[in-house]
Amino acid sequence: MSGDGVEGLLRESAPQVLGALVRRFGHFDTAEDAVQEALLAASVQWPEEGVPDNPRGWLITVASRRLTDLLRAEQARRRREDTVAGWRLSGDWSAPAADRPAAATDDTLVLLFMCCHPSLSPASQIALTLRAVGGLSTAEIARAFLVPEATMTRRISRAKQRIKDSGLPFALPPAAERAERLGAVLHVLYLIFNEGYASTSGPKLQRAELSAEAIRLARTVHRLMPDDGEVIGLLALMLLTDARRTARTGQDGALIPMAEQDRALWDSTQIGEGVALVSSALPRREIGPYQLQAAIAAVHDEAPSAAETDWPQIVALYEVLMRVVDNPVVRLNHVVAVAMTRGADAGLDLLDELVADERLAGDHRLYAVRAHLLEMAGERAAAREAYEVAAGRTTSLPRQRYLHSRAARLAESS
Amino acid sequence: MKYMIMMFGTQKDFDMLAGRPGDGPTWSAEDVGALHAFMTKWNDDLVKSGEFVDAQGLTPPVHARRVQLKDGVPVVTDGPYAETQEVLAGYTIVECESFDRATEIAARLADTPHPQGAILQNEWYVDVRPIVDSIDDLDA
Repeated sequence: MSGDGVEGLLRESAPQVLGALVRRFGHFDTAEDAVQEALLAASVQWPEEGVPDNPRGWLITVASRRLTDLLRAEQARRRREDTVAGWRLSGDWSAPAADRPAAATDDTLVLLFMCCHPSLSPASQIALTLRAVGGLSTAEIARAFLVPEATMTRRISRAKQRIKDSGLPFALPPAAERAERLGAVLHVLYLIFNEGYASTSGPKLQRAELSAEAIRLARTVHRLMPDDGEVIGLLALMLLTDARRTARTGQDGALIPMAEQDRALWDSTQIGEGVALVSSALPRREIGPYQLQAAIAAVHDEAPSAAETDWPQIVALYEVLMRVVDNPVVRLNHVVAVAMTRGADAGLDLLDELVADERLAGDHRLYAVRAHLLEMAGERAAAREAYEVAAGRTTSLPRQRYLHSRAARLAESS
Repeated sequence: MKYMIMMFGTQKDFDMLAGRPGDGPTWSAEDVGALHAFMTKWNDDLVKSGEFVDAQGLTPPVHARRVQLKDGVPVVTDGPYAETQEVLAGYTIVECESFDRATEIAARLADTPHPQGAILQNEWYVDVRPIVDSIDDLDA
């Protein structure tokens, strides 16, 4: 088997091996270290000697042995007389919760809920999810987030310590909390995706891998909870957004707005899959924000050009979305869609209402949208000025370059 | 031992890079791409050799705030620098065997690509400064 094939198999197995260990022995924090060591051993050994007949069994055996060693060392350190029996099974960790659904779940889901526990900071949730569920090494996660490995090591051990201290049982959250806790899991996956997608700085390859990893994890959740509309929505949103990846940056890393992207570069397979997911979810479920955003992305992705986009449909979807979430950036996007439907002046009127929103005060996006709408309305001088103001307010170099170039274009042709 | 390699620039240098129309030629997309590729490789080589510790770039000086005492009261000034004043633009921290090795790493930056005919505000330089390891270094 090739190195890549082995890596895929290892990453797929990581949460299942960890789940098996934690069920049997408890000690989530130490078990997680043991699994990482077993994965490392396999990544060296398997490409040389071949993949064992039962890869997961091999990993569980090696990780269990390693866990036993680690726990013995820990016990020796504490000078405790307790024997293996002492740490073997504790009630909370061993017995599956009584309300645990029999078939609809597996340990991967339990681990996800654990890693995305609300008592952890978002940065810790992300790091722990990528390591314990994604099977990435600390070094890989550190590289993707552009922080030194030592920093990431500390972040992960603090998160594990916190989970240990909280005495969280290894089980799905109680039914009453499940919807809210699922929201936290989906938000973490969304953040991982955005970290890879929205950033235009840093080593590009590793950043793109974060988006791919988020999609892989979202697929796993979808497989485990096929009927949840927001899970479908999030997976669809990721696929429909990621489909535009190669078209959205120029040579200097500058962002290319959707209206100017070469749509031939969009990934039609991903769009097809995303659209099918959205269509399967929309008609039959209560509608949540991920489904609505996915539906908007689908309308964009299916349009042959910016001008031929079904803007009234996008306006309608944004209006539903604004009833579900109170987010100024959503309102800003709604303004743009209104301008595309009813003209620049209608958009500018709405924009004046948004200026009062303190969350957007001084934000460069407000000025950038104003500039675009003024340009649409033919107010060249005012548009140029607004572009320059927006450029002065953003700290991102690619964005500054884009806004200055728009201003320069207006200067040349006037 | 750790060393900080410090890079400097003026608001005007930042503006040229951002494509803001001014006196000198602004950077094209290709120019920025070449600079990006060069810095990424310089950085990645340090990650590969295990000498990389940390690196940060700073936003243009126009976004800086200065807090200073005036008549015993802290007063805040936005964008306190003159357009042509050199300020810290970014730094990279390396951990390596000697001051000479850190200097060698910094000297590679002399090959940083820039557009033909670009007007630099000042002669190009970077500074390398050893970092105090622990409180003991200060006491001794």
